[in-house]
Amino acid sequence: MILPEGAWGPLLLSFEVAAVGTLLATVVGVALGSLLATRRFFGRDLLDALVSAPMVLPPTVLGYYLLTMLGRRSAVGQAFESVTGSSIVFTEGAAVLAGALAALPFIVKSARAAIEDVDPRYAAAAATLGASPSRVFFAIVLPLASRGVLAGVAIGFARALGDFGVTLMIAGNLEGVTRTASVAIYDAVLADEQARAAGMAAVLSAVAIAALYGVNKLARRTRRV
Amino acid sequence: MNLSAPTFVRNMSLVLALSAPLSCRGQAKEARIAAASDLKDAFSDLGARFEKKTGKKVSFTFGSTGLLTKQIEEGAPFDLFAAANVSYVDQVVKAGACDGGTKAPYARGRLAIWFPTKGGAPSSLADLADPRFKRIAIANPEHAPYGKAAEQALKRAGLWDAVASRIVKGENVQATLSLATGGEADVAIVAYSLVALKTEGVHVLVDAEAHDPIDQALVVCGKNPGVEVAKEFAAYVGSLEGRAVMRSYGFTLPADAATSSLP
Repeated sequence: MILPEGAWGPLLLSFEVAAVGTLLATVVGVALGSLLATRRFFGRDLLDALVSAPMVLPPTVLGYYLLTMLGRRSAVGQAFESVTGSSIVFTEGAAVLAGALAALPFIVKSARAAIEDVDPRYAAAAATLGASPSRVFFAIVLPLASRGVLAGVAIGFARALGDFGVTLMIAGNLEGVTRTASVAIYDAVLADEQARAAGMAAVLSAVAIAALYGVNKLARRTRRV
Repeated sequence: MNLSAPTFVRNMSLVLALSAPLSCRGQAKEARIAAASDLKDAFSDLGARFEKKTGKKVSFTFGSTGLLTKQIEEGAPFDLFAAANVSYVDQVVKAGACDGGTKAPYARGRLAIWFPTKGGAPSSLADLADPRFKRIAIANPEHAPYGKAAEQALKRAGLWDAVASRIVKGENVQATLSLATGGEADVAIVAYSLVALKTEGVHVLVDAEAHDPIDQALVVCGKNPGVEVAKEFAAYVGSLEGRAVMRSYGFTLPADAATSSLP
């Protein structure tokens, strides 16, 4: 596809950052979703609310918390910098973290709902046949819940791809490192470079719509099963 | 789809393996430069010439000097910081992020009023008191030196009270110009360097004495491998060729500041 100069770089970076961020969020999100679905413990609803908070918190609030927790003046930031020689903020890792945090609530919610929908008798039957808890989870529960989990991952990816506020606050705007497409669109609009903004906006919109369309298809097939 | 545990793990490791090489980009012969947005046109031009000449790459992040300063203090990995006001250079040096020994003045900036059409253009700052200019764009004075200078010029001319309710603020001086070129604002007070070569619209220089001098300085930052290229680029900006380019964009250069001759 032909896009104006300087549009593909940020887009590719966005896909990379969103892919790695979604992967991280999937590992953490499926674990949390499964915990929330299968265990009753003190503070379960509070944990659910905390994990879901990034969906509704203003990005500036989230960005502020992350800067306070991970910035150069924070204990974590200083420890990280003394070990690795570079700060956490304003790196590609920070952009990945912003994307992961954006994707996480969607993955946790979908995973929790999908795992709750799995008939507990299957898991119980597997356990009586001698399967270890991890085997039950990976061989029985997760495959049965996979459509719901995948739907969450798809929405999470689309959301991570579009993250703007937190990325700008903790990852900055470095060409090839943290200047993702959403940040580059903001730049292009500020600089009145309409063609570049329009090209990137079109690609991001197409991906978001494709992801939501795919999720609907997944959901419909689940219902038929 | 039936996703068994080994398949799930295999798919996930494949995704990881695919994303790994993307993350390891070469960064040896490249300098990352944070530059005030009044430099957008001049430095983009200089950067292209520098790359052609040396084969080394420079990448720019343009923004308001104050916001870039914050990022550098927070550890943003820039190799060179070209500020629109020398006081911000002192600030990043004091924060320990940049090397004070490399601080160098490279230009003095001027303000200009930009208006989209010949007809009805203001001929001086004082004309902006006219209420037909419904929205007057300036850069945010809190963190953009050209915005601060614009506010100062309006205040010193006794115009502030007349215009204050009609002021709209851009995030940086480039965004401020876009507000006017895009038609969201009627007129903009911006850096002369962004409009000096502009064929579209008209511009009027603001008297240099109307505000404190906008003395711009640069400094080398951090310890990444890019600092060597950054030093070369800084030297290029100060070279005969670099100075000629800067002058063509309307900057007054340090050594000719005394004569204050404009192109």
